[in-house]
Amino acid sequence: MQASTVQPRIGVYVCHCGLNIAGVVDVVAVRESASSLDGVVIARDNKYTCSEVGQKTIADDIREFGLDRVVIASCSPRLHEKTFRALLEKCGMNPFLLEMANIREQCSWVHSGDSEAATEKAKALVRSAVARARLLTPLLRSEGRVVPKVMVVGGGVAGISAALYLGNMGIKTYLVERQPSIGGHMAMLDKTFPTLDCSLCILSPKMVEVAENENIEVLSYSEVEKVEGQVGDFRVQVRRKARYVDEDKCVGCGDCAAKCPVRVPDEFNRSMGERKAIYIPFPQAIPPAYVIDAEHCRYLTQGKCRVCEKVCERGAVVFDQTDRVETIEVGAIVVATGFQPYDASKKPQYGYGRYPNVITSLDFERIICADGPTHGKLKRPGDQATPKRIAFIQCVGSRDEHRLDGAGAYCSRVCCMITAKQAFMIKEKYPDSEVYVYYTDMRTAGKGFEEFYQRGRGEGIVFVRGKPGEVREEEDGSLRITSEDLDSGCILDLSFDMVVLAVGLAPPEGLVELAQRLNLSRSADGFLLEGHPKLRPFETSIDGIFLAGCVQFPKDIPDSVAQAGGAAAAAAATCSRQKIEMDPLGPVIDEDLCIGCRLCEMLCPYGAIKVEKTDRGYKARSIEVACKGCGVCGASCSARAITMKHYSNDQIVAQTKALLEVS
Amino acid sequence: MADLAVEGRAVGERQEGFEPQVVGFLCNWCSYAGADLAGTSRLAYPTNLRVIRVMCSGRVDPEIMTEPFLHGADAVMVLGCHPGDCHYLSGNYQAEQRVRTVWMVLDHLGIDRGRLYLDWVSAAEGARFADMVSEFVERVKALGPAGGGPASKEGLSRDEFTFRAEVSRRVVAGERFRWLVGRNKALSEEGNVYGEKVSPEKAGALMQSVIADECVRAAIEVLAGEAPVSVRDIASRLGISAQIVLEQAAYLKRRGIIELYDVLGRSPRYVLAGARA
Repeated sequence: MQASTVQPRIGVYVCHCGLNIAGVVDVVAVRESASSLDGVVIARDNKYTCSEVGQKTIADDIREFGLDRVVIASCSPRLHEKTFRALLEKCGMNPFLLEMANIREQCSWVHSGDSEAATEKAKALVRSAVARARLLTPLLRSEGRVVPKVMVVGGGVAGISAALYLGNMGIKTYLVERQPSIGGHMAMLDKTFPTLDCSLCILSPKMVEVAENENIEVLSYSEVEKVEGQVGDFRVQVRRKARYVDEDKCVGCGDCAAKCPVRVPDEFNRSMGERKAIYIPFPQAIPPAYVIDAEHCRYLTQGKCRVCEKVCERGAVVFDQTDRVETIEVGAIVVATGFQPYDASKKPQYGYGRYPNVITSLDFERIICADGPTHGKLKRPGDQATPKRIAFIQCVGSRDEHRLDGAGAYCSRVCCMITAKQAFMIKEKYPDSEVYVYYTDMRTAGKGFEEFYQRGRGEGIVFVRGKPGEVREEEDGSLRITSEDLDSGCILDLSFDMVVLAVGLAPPEGLVELAQRLNLSRSADGFLLEGHPKLRPFETSIDGIFLAGCVQFPKDIPDSVAQAGGAAAAAAATCSRQKIEMDPLGPVIDEDLCIGCRLCEMLCPYGAIKVEKTDRGYKARSIEVACKGCGVCGASCSARAITMKHYSNDQIVAQTKALLEVS
Repeated sequence: MADLAVEGRAVGERQEGFEPQVVGFLCNWCSYAGADLAGTSRLAYPTNLRVIRVMCSGRVDPEIMTEPFLHGADAVMVLGCHPGDCHYLSGNYQAEQRVRTVWMVLDHLGIDRGRLYLDWVSAAEGARFADMVSEFVERVKALGPAGGGPASKEGLSRDEFTFRAEVSRRVVAGERFRWLVGRNKALSEEGNVYGEKVSPEKAGALMQSVIADECVRAAIEVLAGEAPVSVRDIASRLGISAQIVLEQAAYLKRRGIIELYDVLGRSPRYVLAGARA
């Protein structure tokens, strides 16, 4: 790992990035200071180094000056390291002979108030990059295989769409869903805005298509437990929860449920109806198979019953089923685990959970749905009476700058339109009813959204700008809301028969754990962090893992479907590659120094270093395919026998010294 | 050697015109990305921090943490992913383990541990990163320049600070220290080769005694590398008893690390082995 003793020939390119850098940092001064550094043959400043012209300048210099190291002072290496490594390769150089100095994100953009200090810092960063460049060594990438299969995690509309795109491209796709059926929240909605399409009528054919697509395998009632490997070659452990019903044998006749003696609140109907302990979540479920709720089944809890087993003519009930863990190999993963509605009971001032006639927007969807607990008749849960005066309260769990009670600071994007739709549906079915909407701002950005909202206003829905402080229940079960109307300045004190809380979209339950298993970052709002907010909206920081739908951020159905298409295309692109090139950042072990102490073996998180018996005693050996290049072994080696490729102590020390040099 | 510390000035008095040099080691996946986000969001923070990107905070060797102090740094930041979020599963735990033990070395040598900072920044915490850097720079300003004499909290002269920094670097580069750092947690959680679990207190005390020995040995090495020195010279330089120096010097001589140079009066003087030629 010794750097060659021949004096390196380094080219330094200081980028203006238009005025992004040059507006703060004196790039000419940085270039001049770089040109006097040891080993620097040529230093230039360019307007846009990443542009075609900028890249050509470097390519020409590599030829003309015989450069063997390139230092680029520009944006973050996280943005363009790939671009410039590819340029070096195109010019016949080893891509690891590139070093970047981050003088934009970590200099000009954060020190715009002090040009002089920013320029000094930029000089230091370039000096450090050059010092490191001198010690860089050419490295060979290792190659990894590509398993041409994809796993889609989450079977809501985003996951369903992604799986269909992939399946239709001929790619073997596993669709993992933790509920007994795919469908997600969209299956629970009555209508969709702004066209008032019946939600399940448009979703159900897609679900059937998934079931019939020969490339798609639905793993329902299953959860991702562990993920290993890297892009092209992930090994995912999936827990297939015991369903106690053989999916292939069950025809969904329902004889079992008819005889089942146990009644349980039906979660699909938001606990406003009942189901049996053996049940199908909803008639259109995919797979169209019953499932036994082990928590409530009389046989599984008390050891007696088995009525369902007796009545099932096809013998589909199998009580000796157990959870099993399958390991599935895939080349790419699409995460589409959606959201959960904000838990309105966390806002006690609105009385959800205490006052039966305060419901959430999702509860409302079930009430108004023909398949719901009231068969589509608008009845309030408290006494099954038809409410005449209904109020909607917006932004429950959204747009809370103090993020109290687990609420988000963000706008959940869909609640305004959901309320516009629900209010409109009430007016449509019950023209005499009075509907009030208490809102912060009505946000109706989307194709046909504003027009739909205006239509609702035309129908006589009253929109009140103001956020009620509380909802009070009167003795007769009616609900009183006192709120300021910010537009007129009046205090409105009104009584309603029912209140609907427009709950925001929160990160789904279990996302923290899933993110940890997949090694993904979450943004401050708790949703998964995309690769770049503008340009990589469905990628992540992990190659080969993509995002679709609300798990990235709240969005409506068409946006979820669009993102699913993008994620599917990206996953397909990964799978179409013959091989994956992996950065060789592993350890080099000097066996003369290694004392076989096993510290590296014990500390390596991947089991990628093993101590073996050799004829010179016990020596550590690196297992390249398992190594991810973290450097824990190198930093802990007691005999200092391990050098990390591309991040050696020598390189880091040289950087340190150069950073601290007085210029 | 801590007892050698010269009376420093009261902490909190700000040094006018003192701009600390801070070197930061940031992991590629979380903290470096968080720093980038601070940039993208245009959140200003002081220019004092200069960043070196590493793949994982677990890559930051104790030697790398102490090295900047030899070259004029006033403080060092090690930033990684939040616990449980490490891109490499457990690298940040290793980083924490190391920083804790390096702090013990700095304590022992009378260097304020506030000059070595460890924290976690996620890729989404641009604002937190900017605030963290601003606050840390203020705290370092209050500590005063490393080796700033009476103007610094430790009250050490530049030469003395550099000497102690060099001692600390040698200690953390040493086999015994590194082995213990790597095994420290496991000793109390999994036990040693005999399956005996060592209590965290006992493991800490063991670490402490190893650091004490290693500091004396490293100091002897540094001093013997500069010029021939006697045990008495070393003892008075370090402000510790000649008996302790003698024990460690004997050990180093046995290991062939130092050798006899001459005998001046009745005191033998030593140099680093091989230095005579």
